Amino acid sequence: MNSPPDESDESAEGISRRAMLAAGATGLSVGASGCINRVQSVVDPDSSTGMAVSILTLPGADGDREGAQIARHLEENLRSVGVNATINTRSRSELLKTVLLEQDFDIYVGRHPADFNPDFLYEALHSTYAYESGWQNPFKFMDPSFDGEVRFMDPSFDGALERQRTVEGAEREEAIAELLWRFALNQPFIPVCIPNEYRLVQTDRFSGWEDGHLATRLGYLGLEPAANVEQLHALITDARPTRNLNPLSATARERGTITDLLYDSLATYEETDDDSESNLRPWLAADWDWDGSTATIELREDCTFHNGDPLTAQDVKFTYRFLADTTLGRAPEASPAPRYRGQVAAIDSITVEDDYRLTISASTSPEVGERAFTVPILPRRIWSERVDRRVTGNDEFSPPQGTWSLVTANNIPPVGSGPFQFADRSEGEFLLLERFEDHFSVGTDDVPEPTVPELRLEVDPGTASSIDRIASGGADMTTARLETYALGGISDDDPVERVEDTSWTFYHIGFNTLKEPFSNPRFRRAVARLVDKGWITETIFNGHARPVAAPVAEKWTPDSDSEIDSLVWEDKDPVTPFLGTDGELDVKDARDLFAEDYEYDDSGNLLR
Amino acid sequence: MLTQLLLQVVVAVSILLSVALAGVVGRDRLSLLREEWRSRLRTSAPAIALLLAILLLNRIMRQQGRSLSQDYGIHMTEVFYTIEGEFVLLFQAIASPEANTYFSISYVYGYVFLLIFPVVAYAARSKTIDFRRLLIAYSLNYAIGLVFYILFIAYGPRNVFVEELTQTMLYDNSPQYKYLTTEVNRNTNVFPSLHTSLSATVATFAYQTRSTYPRWFPIAVCLSISIMISTMYLGIHWGIDVLAGLALAGFCVSLSTYLVDRWSLTAILEQVRKRLHEYRDTVTTASQENS
Repeated sequence: MNSPPDESDESAEGISRRAMLAAGATGLSVGASGCINRVQSVVDPDSSTGMAVSILTLPGADGDREGAQIARHLEENLRSVGVNATINTRSRSELLKTVLLEQDFDIYVGRHPADFNPDFLYEALHSTYAYESGWQNPFKFMDPSFDGEVRFMDPSFDGALERQRTVEGAEREEAIAELLWRFALNQPFIPVCIPNEYRLVQTDRFSGWEDGHLATRLGYLGLEPAANVEQLHALITDARPTRNLNPLSATARERGTITDLLYDSLATYEETDDDSESNLRPWLAADWDWDGSTATIELREDCTFHNGDPLTAQDVKFTYRFLADTTLGRAPEASPAPRYRGQVAAIDSITVEDDYRLTISASTSPEVGERAFTVPILPRRIWSERVDRRVTGNDEFSPPQGTWSLVTANNIPPVGSGPFQFADRSEGEFLLLERFEDHFSVGTDDVPEPTVPELRLEVDPGTASSIDRIASGGADMTTARLETYALGGISDDDPVERVEDTSWTFYHIGFNTLKEPFSNPRFRRAVARLVDKGWITETIFNGHARPVAAPVAEKWTPDSDSEIDSLVWEDKDPVTPFLGTDGELDVKDARDLFAEDYEYDDSGNLLR
Repeated sequence: MLTQLLLQVVVAVSILLSVALAGVVGRDRLSLLREEWRSRLRTSAPAIALLLAILLLNRIMRQQGRSLSQDYGIHMTEVFYTIEGEFVLLFQAIASPEANTYFSISYVYGYVFLLIFPVVAYAARSKTIDFRRLLIAYSLNYAIGLVFYILFIAYGPRNVFVEELTQTMLYDNSPQYKYLTTEVNRNTNVFPSLHTSLSATVATFAYQTRSTYPRWFPIAVCLSISIMISTMYLGIHWGIDVLAGLALAGFCVSLSTYLVDRWSLTAILEQVRKRLHEYRDTVTTASQENS
């Protein structure tokens, strides 16, 4: 078992195409990243000492039990191979701040919001975003290898990310397969598993829970309340929504369920069967029509924001311009929002035809371009005034991108056009929303509407107590995914139901690839082989998760029919299989692997 | 949920208190307290006011402290973990369902009883000095604890050793307690352990007053040791938090002895009044001279 990771499951046919690709890609990138390493080691005084790694994670018992256990598994195995690993605990917002905005980390364990479409990888990994703050490329990943000789269609990692955005159909599937292979060989982050999304709902007061995905707006609309039920009482285990409702904030949320309720977007996600072309249906847009890469969009007429201002095509155009540059051109350099970067980048230009009609020209295929239709539409008047207020005098105005006050402010009360509007909140306790009576869905038959006057989101300390509370009739639903440790506490006797929705968010171990030794893809792959994803899903998630080598839905994962090799999980990771069995590391094999690139001192510590 | 739990705590602690007061303090002292409480209260008013003010401040800072802490606090979880490693897991050797129950009850009910009992017991002595010292020591514990909580952000062992502590974690066995503790405290307030420092404070007082309340001394010592162990057994505090709690207790007890009766509030008021008179006199004399 001394062989490099990519050759460990080699077939008898000799060196396969995969191994050649791997050798080519990593060899070149190691060479190039060497330059970066040398620059760093001049700066870093500890460069000849033992390797120390800090693993950033959420608090286990009070935040994310599964994530903290993954961190601990990694910590123990890193220690076994002679790396001085420690665990560093942060709250949800501080973890995101440290990783996304400050880039002050070595390794973190977290859950990525991802997307139903694998195009989210473009935002997560494209090198043009390596210098920005926010959800765009927090790994600072750059793969400088330019592999002209063999065999991937695209000569570079960036090229692969870009190509899947323009091609369609079977060609796109192949492009994604290739991208995922490049990803697996590079491991800018280690994808661990996709946990099942369970929520607990009570069935006496409401029915219709199965209709919409409960992490999206449709999940909260069209529910059927029993007679005299005036409020949907949801439990949240994350207090951030009571403190910050800024749709641009990078740290206030992983996924935007509440933003979805307060704001409308042109299109909305809808659960469909796997074979359908698109998961998006018109929402604020009454309809759209693609001609090549240009979409003509008809807005629903007479929509207003919660403050009574009319919502027109001008607001839509403004939103995309503003997200691309939150200073609206006032600063020497554009300051893109720390969110929605990949979506907005798909749009080349927007022309307003009249109040309710606009054309959007995309730089991508319609399928990818439509992802841009899911961003929240913001009221132009309010946000442009906010920019004006912040531009003072004649001094040069250059706010720090991703962290300036406009994108971090709490935005309370939020003014959107969505089906619910802000009513009240108490920090750390609750957020109260009320039905927006002028919303286009209210009183119509063609789209689901808010069916109760109030939606109360109340902070509860954890999954176990949330389950108790819903079972005893103290609340109607959990908004967060149930942690698997507490699933056994659900009783069949109570009027409750465990609802499952499609899952695409995944647990991952992210590297700061600007830092040595994480800049070395061979090191990252070796670390990936210390993680037993199969054991993690079985023991930490009690089987309620799917271990993955590719962080995308099953239908996008290249299988044995693919021209390139399969990345389907079959009892082990096809590229970075665990060095051991049942969560127990084979320490000798693992140390041998690390010894290929790094040295050990006499007491067995791995040196940088 | 919360009200129900609070009610449970109130009822249980009331029963414990009435039994203990009858057994330890005795009927004579209690009836004397009924007659003299007004005058004793007057003597102790400054100490009572101090404690109430500190408790109120504590309550306010539970919300405000969050943002202060975010701006100025230092993250310490990793440091504590690096220093003491898996020390708290040693207590898992005695893990059992019975131990879970014992330590959970000590942590929640035992602690409340341990803090309230001496307040009543010392108020029942005709000499109020220990009563006032105790209130000052409590105030110091809370006040210093508050400063530390703002400066040091750390999560307890249950947030790191999830798997190892699953069997004994307070909130797994009794999730309802979480409503109570989140109401009282934030989960990053672990250094130092106030459960430890206040328990040790009470135990030290029990030692110092053992001639008056000989039965209380062994009870207080057993209970406070149980509470200290429970904080680690239940995965709430690090060993370092408990050590710091002991140090804090020692400091607060000594300081309370030093402070009490050092200044008399009535004397200070008298002084101020005298100064004011003198000042007015000089002013009036000056203006008379000028006229």
